[in-house]
Amino acid sequence: MTGTPASPPAEPVRVVVVDDHRMFRTGVKAELEEVAGDRIDIIGEAPDVDTAIAVIRRDLPDVVLLDVHLPGGNGRGGVDVLAGCVAVDSRRGRPVRFLALSVSDAAEDVIAVIRAGARGYVTKTITGTDLANAVCRVADGDAVFSPRLAGFVLDAFGAAAGEIAEVDEELDRLSQREREVMRLIARGYQYKEVAKELFISIKTVETHVSSVLRKLQLSSRHELTAWAMGRKLV
Amino acid sequence: MPTPYAAAPAAAPPRLVRPLAGRQVAGVCAGLAEHLGVPVRVIRLIMLVLLAMGPGVVAYVLLWALTPEVEATPGKPGAPGEQRSLFDGPMLVIAGAVVAFVGVAWLAQRSGVDLRLGVLLPLLVIAVGTVIGLSQLDAARRTRWLAGSGWQTAARLGLGVIVTAGGILALVTRDAPISQTWDIIVAVIVVLIGAGLLVAPWGVRVLAELRAEQAARARADERADMAAHLHDSVLQTLALIQRQSGDSARVATLARAQERELRAWLYGGGAAEASNLSGALAEVIGEVEAAHGIPVDLVMTGDREMDDGTQALVRAVREALANAVRHGRPPVSVYVEAGPTGVEAFIRDHGPGLDMEVIPEDRLGVRESIIGRMTRHGGAASSRRLDPGTEWSLTLPPPQGVTP
Repeated sequence: MTGTPASPPAEPVRVVVVDDHRMFRTGVKAELEEVAGDRIDIIGEAPDVDTAIAVIRRDLPDVVLLDVHLPGGNGRGGVDVLAGCVAVDSRRGRPVRFLALSVSDAAEDVIAVIRAGARGYVTKTITGTDLANAVCRVADGDAVFSPRLAGFVLDAFGAAAGEIAEVDEELDRLSQREREVMRLIARGYQYKEVAKELFISIKTVETHVSSVLRKLQLSSRHELTAWAMGRKLV
Repeated sequence: MPTPYAAAPAAAPPRLVRPLAGRQVAGVCAGLAEHLGVPVRVIRLIMLVLLAMGPGVVAYVLLWALTPEVEATPGKPGAPGEQRSLFDGPMLVIAGAVVAFVGVAWLAQRSGVDLRLGVLLPLLVIAVGTVIGLSQLDAARRTRWLAGSGWQTAARLGLGVIVTAGGILALVTRDAPISQTWDIIVAVIVVLIGAGLLVAPWGVRVLAELRAEQAARARADERADMAAHLHDSVLQTLALIQRQSGDSARVATLARAQERELRAWLYGGGAAEASNLSGALAEVIGEVEAAHGIPVDLVMTGDREMDDGTQALVRAVREALANAVRHGRPPVSVYVEAGPTGVEAFIRDHGPGLDMEVIPEDRLGVRESIIGRMTRHGGAASSRRLDPGTEWSLTLPPPQGVTP
């Protein structure tokens, strides 16, 4: 994978790992230090919701790698952590960003954390290099979509069935361009490749992805809200 | 039941239970017939005579209360189905019995026999009320009852109480003048309320305990189910992995296959049926992964029933995937979009790339299995080189008869 972020940050991204499996935390730490020790600095970890909120509020990291299923809190796992860290800024004065990391492919898990405010969703089988790139991307404020999340978005917004927004601002449907970007990501393309394919800049690709993320969080589309209601998020 | 083997040990008489199937009221007669090895009609006839004479009532109620209820073994005569629909529930039988009784009593009275109807009728009413009320407590409906299935249960119970109270009133106020009747009504109501107050807390506690017990049993069942599944799948795979820990490719394949299976079990919920395109694709990808030991990511949006076209598409995807894992490099990914305008499939790898110009004409795999197959079903297939890798793109029109 060659998709390093456009501008490596001057100082390493400060990361907290939240996961209830110690073996997994250790593994992620070792892997990230090996492939991106210069770009990423793991400053803390937490095994449950309450510890996670305390650690994040104390250490003010740039990025939190967040497991979706966690013990403690109100029993909603990662969503509770997101709810407990609203409006917390990192040391650099930017909002703390969350990247959800899960073994689950279930649509309701994806929708739950994204609607609660996570900037991306990747599965735990991701390679170390890809994870490092995703962390840096999220730290820069971009959204990270795995192919599976892109496929889910296309499904949920009815884009696969040909529903296309008339104006870009419409929240319940994707625009033509957003749909193309999502389709390419679902096909396994890196942002760089998406940009090349559509003759647009990487920055524009990132803008489209962020806009899809915003729609995902704000849309009142039936499929999205039904899942969210089931989890008492709305 | 006669056994076909002469040497078989003499079968002990079946335990006395009340079968669910083949019953008319509460299954008492059916159970007795089974237990004694006597035709159920005979038992019913005897029971009817006994009931009409009086002591049968006590016997019947005691048998009802003390005999456990069990599902009848299938294949027995007089088992489920038509009987159940003919006599819908015990209510109809009770109504018939009442009508018959009234008729017989009227005839007897006409012919000069004094039945002392003043006593008999209220007693009958009390019995009917009790049956209506207690029929709710029958174990056959216990689960539904515990689940708290609303007003019907309450209505029946209420009706039973009212009918019983009416019977008691009629019995007690038989010869009393109107003035005393009200006193008696009040007394009866007070006694009923008092009894209710005494019994209610106990009843509520028993109900709560029953609910808790049922929930605990459901949880235990689920745990046992899960333990069995994990043992059959995950533990076996872990054992295999430990034994082959030197062969990292094999370990990765095993872990991947197990992960897919567990995932399907946990999140699948029966969605992955092979009769749908998504299920068929998942199956094919599983086979390719198992055969080549290279992980393949499938992303699917929409779905479609399997037909000739999608069958061809799945075979073509399989062929393209086989090429990708053989000549390409991971990650290998498949994206399939099924919508009203047809199906599109993309298969991508990150290998050195496959050039259509340099493919020899005799390479049947690519030419025939992918391109030819798709064209024959009205679709198309093409491949192109990407910076790293190759991407196949397959398209299939919507099924005939459906306008896009």
